[in-house]
Amino acid sequence: MKKLVSIILAAVMCLSIAACGGGSGSGAGGNTPQGGSEDGATLSAVQKIIAEAEGMTLEELAKKAIEESNGKMFYGVGNSSRGKSALPKFIAYLQTIDPNYNMTFEWQQPKNNKIFDQLTADSQKDTGTFAMTLIQDGNQIESKMVKTGILDTFIPKDWAEANGTTADKYEGYLALQTLNKVFMYNCTGSKTYDNVWDFVAEGEHGLYMDIDSEIVGKNFLYMLTRDDYATWLKEAYDALSADEKAYFTPVIDSMKQEAKDLGLGDNGAYALAWIKLWVGSYNAVTDDGPICTTLVDASATDQFGLLVYSKLRSVEETASSSVNNIHVAAYDDGYTGIGGFGYCHYLFVTDNSPLPWTACAFIAYMTCTADGFSAWGKDMGGYSSNPKVAAENEATYNHQKGGTAEDGTVTFPAKNDRGYDWWTTTGKLVLEDPSYCADVAFTVGSWIEILDKYSAG
Amino acid sequence: MEQSTPKRASAFTIRMNKLKTYFSKPHNVILLLMGIVLSFTTIAPIVAIVQDTFAIHPGTIDAHLTGQSSGYTLVNYTDLFTSRLAGTNLWTPLGNTILLAVGTCVVAILFGGIMAFLVTRTDLAWKQYLSSIFIFPYIMPQWTLAVVWQHLFNSNAITGTSNGLLASLFGITMPLWWCKGIFPSVVVLGLHYAPFAYILIGGIFRNMDANLEEAATILDTPKWKIMTRVTLPMVKPAILSTILLVFGSAMGSYPVPHYLGLSTLATKYVSMNSKYTGEASILAIIMMVFGVAIMLLNQLSLTSRKNYTTVSGKSGQISKIRLGKAGRYIIALILVVLTFFTSIFPIISFAFETFLPNPGDYSFLYTGDVSNLTTKWWITAENVTENGMYGQMGILYNNTIWTAFKGTMLVSVACALLAGTIGTLIGYAVSKSRRSKWTNYVNSVAFLPYLMPSIAVGVAFFVLFSNKYINLFNTYTLLIIVGTVKYIPFASRSSLNSMLQLSGEIEESAIILNIPWIKRMTRIIIPIQKSSILSGYLLPFMTCLRELSLFMLLCVQGFILSTTLDYFDEMGLYAFSSGINLILIVTILVCNTIVNKVTGASLDKGIGG
Repeated sequence: MKKLVSIILAAVMCLSIAACGGGSGSGAGGNTPQGGSEDGATLSAVQKIIAEAEGMTLEELAKKAIEESNGKMFYGVGNSSRGKSALPKFIAYLQTIDPNYNMTFEWQQPKNNKIFDQLTADSQKDTGTFAMTLIQDGNQIESKMVKTGILDTFIPKDWAEANGTTADKYEGYLALQTLNKVFMYNCTGSKTYDNVWDFVAEGEHGLYMDIDSEIVGKNFLYMLTRDDYATWLKEAYDALSADEKAYFTPVIDSMKQEAKDLGLGDNGAYALAWIKLWVGSYNAVTDDGPICTTLVDASATDQFGLLVYSKLRSVEETASSSVNNIHVAAYDDGYTGIGGFGYCHYLFVTDNSPLPWTACAFIAYMTCTADGFSAWGKDMGGYSSNPKVAAENEATYNHQKGGTAEDGTVTFPAKNDRGYDWWTTTGKLVLEDPSYCADVAFTVGSWIEILDKYSAG
Repeated sequence: MEQSTPKRASAFTIRMNKLKTYFSKPHNVILLLMGIVLSFTTIAPIVAIVQDTFAIHPGTIDAHLTGQSSGYTLVNYTDLFTSRLAGTNLWTPLGNTILLAVGTCVVAILFGGIMAFLVTRTDLAWKQYLSSIFIFPYIMPQWTLAVVWQHLFNSNAITGTSNGLLASLFGITMPLWWCKGIFPSVVVLGLHYAPFAYILIGGIFRNMDANLEEAATILDTPKWKIMTRVTLPMVKPAILSTILLVFGSAMGSYPVPHYLGLSTLATKYVSMNSKYTGEASILAIIMMVFGVAIMLLNQLSLTSRKNYTTVSGKSGQISKIRLGKAGRYIIALILVVLTFFTSIFPIISFAFETFLPNPGDYSFLYTGDVSNLTTKWWITAENVTENGMYGQMGILYNNTIWTAFKGTMLVSVACALLAGTIGTLIGYAVSKSRRSKWTNYVNSVAFLPYLMPSIAVGVAFFVLFSNKYINLFNTYTLLIIVGTVKYIPFASRSSLNSMLQLSGEIEESAIILNIPWIKRMTRIIIPIQKSSILSGYLLPFMTCLRELSLFMLLCVQGFILSTTLDYFDEMGLYAFSSGINLILIVTILVCNTIVNKVTGASLDKGIGG
């Protein structure tokens, strides 16, 4: 028996070593970019279609989609489950052009970062399963999906026009929407948080999704080290009293050399100090949902968290739970510093898409029409990347008065969403930049990983 | 007169005849076929994952350190074992994993063993009830007890959250070590696996020969000495079997440590997979190595015959220890209270949770106002209006839940049928040819996947079946293959044990009468041991119904019920996860009852049930 086990183990090792010498081309590690470069001559078949599609209106695209996918199965994959709600609307739209059109669909929502593995595995087929994806985490998109040629960006003509640009001139990925995670605190006690540094003060333990399970949370920390956001942190620090500064100053001083080593700007030390204190203090939670239900509970006195703003929409008022038990920190008069973090849901066509025209039409429908965006637009805290759609959506759902009764009484101040423009200026929302995140993932990112994390257990 | 010399058969003919004789025995054909199939299903995933540890993955640490986007490297090994993160990424999780696995075994054996002893060897009151209720934690998905633990003991003052039930109602706050980390993880997993120990140890207690203990009593041996020198050595095989089965399972448990904030190899695998893909695969290999090591240690410590035997004797003279008139009720009462908290309270808690207006909102309990309860989580029939449902429809109308339910039933039934049949055949074939090395190989290779942590097996199959040629991610085919391979041991062990109890003469007499093999199996062997063989079908079915760690990396949420349940739990939508739990429990109880009524087999049968 022992001999047999030894033989098996030896065989395993031999096969592995043989596999190691076998060169690339198969397996996740052997993946070579399938997509061609953007220089025309080496465009993949899907990229050629995208190039053509970028010059078409939504209606023209819809006709191509009808031709391509009538009676077929459409597979989409995304970080948001709402793709499943948007697809029937898209089909209904296509049926307004051709009443005989029909398409079945399946929308998958993988968990635990699995979407990247799934797309990578699918990319190895000549013709993939997934036609398109709606995906978050700019850092991994950049390094694992775009640089490897697995995903292609399609910029709809109507979307580009609404943003005053063209597909050729536009650089970056196509965002469906920006979502914001904002600092909120339970206000049933007397404690207030009027400066972003208050969230990392001694003894504080903010509720936050673990940065290892939701990677966009890590991107927030990466972004803080960019010069403009590090400057916001410095300005907030400067606004603190001498007493308050006393706790933070030694940490900031100790980060100066680290900031230099990591190639950060002048105020990098402020960013690193804030990150160090945050990682060392936040109380990891599995999702923003439980953070929200915790914070709105009357017993969560003086607790705070950084969570998706839209979670407030579903709180039911009871004896112990109320939206009025929390404050959105950035809405408080006199609050100084960063109000939260904004990240995007991006749309891509897979480079081996089985239905590229339909994927382009669906993407155009979601980004260029209020109906297409309504699966997300009905909720506060999600802002269409198309200004026309955003305005139409606001006119329909009136999120800026979401906490105001019909008679004009403000019943739930926290639910009056001040909108994208306010958040990105006055509200000091830190916005995810995929390129910056990918650049610092193995410098600032590796530094973050060696920090001591707070463990409540 | 010429004498004819007898013709000598050529070596080739002799070989052919030997082969013919060999294949004329059905158990040899089974062993050969199963050996080949199981070698592939066990070794190929291991090869795939070993290969993955050397591969360069674009956008991850190996690509960064090598400056390449494809090819192979050793950098994943050097970085995992020697970088500044070695403590965080490897050694601490490894230490926690071993502690968790050992602690789980201890709790399971102590709790399950004591319960088994009381039910089988004493005149304890209310045995039937206690025996049935004791296996409930094994029926429920393991992390649901972790969620119940959080709902009970969390508090604003200690865990920095809203107050759980104890803090809300009685102002009691439990210390941090009680609420999070290794202690609750060990307790929760220990309670989950205690029914395992109960079934295995109870089987031996029930059937063991009491003459030895009686002889010791006559010789005036002190009771503690009888326990340590006579009773415990007799149940040693069952204890070792429990360790064998529980250690690997606890080691590969992802959800319990995840919910209770403990860093283990399984949780680390998931968190490292995005940026340290190759290093995460090494963690999976380390978990597998433990599985192999346990099997080898077990081979060294015991002969294979004793190894997995749950029935060691046939004595009918079991003398029951008298607990005293009051004692038998007092101890039973204590157990009733204990099992209430481990088995009944979670179910009440699940049911109650589905009527709370917000997840974890216990307003009703301290106001007594019924308006603080709702039926919305069950009966909401649309998801357009914002009903405080987070965009979901009520459980009764929720397509995601019911599609997942159908998927789970499909996977569970298929796995049970395949694993049960293959396992039964292996058990039969192994019992017929115990001394051959090939038999031992087949026996071991069939058992190996069970000893490997579920999450590692899931990872290995994901890597194996996610390539250019075969891409089975998110298909029922993949789940059925993995589930079958993983759960064959349930059936093979139970079948082997029962076949070994069966005298060879029974089948031999049928062979003399020229009865074909199929008929011998279906008319003689299976009917005699139907109870054990059916449990080989029932256990994979039940385990598959609420398996998460094995399947979580192989499909998306909404594909089967356990991933859907975990999704809702992670999202904090406890009404949905509780509702799914209730659906699972009811399904298992209904199936168990049907099987029990039709065939007489049940999980706790033969112990106290």
